[in-house]
Amino acid sequence: MCYLAHCLLNANSKVDEGARSPGVSLPVVSLLRERGCTLRQMPCPELAFAGTRRFWAVREQYDTPAFRAHCRKLAAPVAAQIRADLAAGHRVVVVGIDGSPTMGVELTAASDDWGGRPDKLRDEDYPVTPGPGIFTETLIELLDPARPQVRIVGIGQDLFDYDEQRELAKLAQLIPDGGAADAG
Amino acid sequence: MRGDVRSRRVAVVPDRVLNPLPSAPDELGALERAGWGIVALGSPDLVPAAREAWLEGIVEQVVTFLDDDYEVALAPGDDAETQEFVRALAAAGRSVTRVFGSDPFGVRP
Repeated sequence: MCYLAHCLLNANSKVDEGARSPGVSLPVVSLLRERGCTLRQMPCPELAFAGTRRFWAVREQYDTPAFRAHCRKLAAPVAAQIRADLAAGHRVVVVGIDGSPTMGVELTAASDDWGGRPDKLRDEDYPVTPGPGIFTETLIELLDPARPQVRIVGIGQDLFDYDEQRELAKLAQLIPDGGAADAG
Repeated sequence: MRGDVRSRRVAVVPDRVLNPLPSAPDELGALERAGWGIVALGSPDLVPAAREAWLEGIVEQVVTFLDDDYEVALAPGDDAETQEFVRALAAAGRSVTRVFGSDPFGVRP
């Protein structure tokens, strides 16, 4: 079972100028299908909260009690379904978006001074740092104690140096033929 | 900066589009080629503890797209998930007026 970040199937949820495709990231979907994964689309935590006209933010801008409550509301059914899938004997992988302030897994966007009028070009200046995004962090909390059974990986679509072939190779390595990844 | 390549076209589809049977046509590929992004409805196997909140999140997202004048279309279907979505969207005071035909992209045999 692969739980996909919403934008991998719907780039319309991305921030202005943040999309890497018009709609579906087909190479990612095709790879997962070839590996025998059943796909589930997670919600985009930013879309319904900040709308389609939002600019590229960092974790600190979203790190409010209201947004964390919003993430918890969205992550709760995902966590419940993951637990059910695990109980049914499925292997589970969650695919987030590295570089995202909310969906990042290993890399997120964070800065103490980023904010206000967006006068910096995104690609060169976006402050990416190690760590998960806020939704991913919330999902991990809700998955406890099942977290060790779930592989969580980020596709670097929000990184300046995004290399699709490199990211697909990383994903392929984590998900062997025949289904979702072993936990780790 | 990359420029804005978002299509502003969103198709709300049942799980069978995302996870087709092996012999079924690839509707997702056809939607991708036509530039649509998808919002996939929950699969029939969602557990009760997830089902209602899962749908609520989907409705909030579709309302956001509709209110920002994105083109939103609904895949045809008499499955329970699609019917539940239509009812929940109506309860939110919105509707999707465009419904795809039975084979809008010519992928069915």
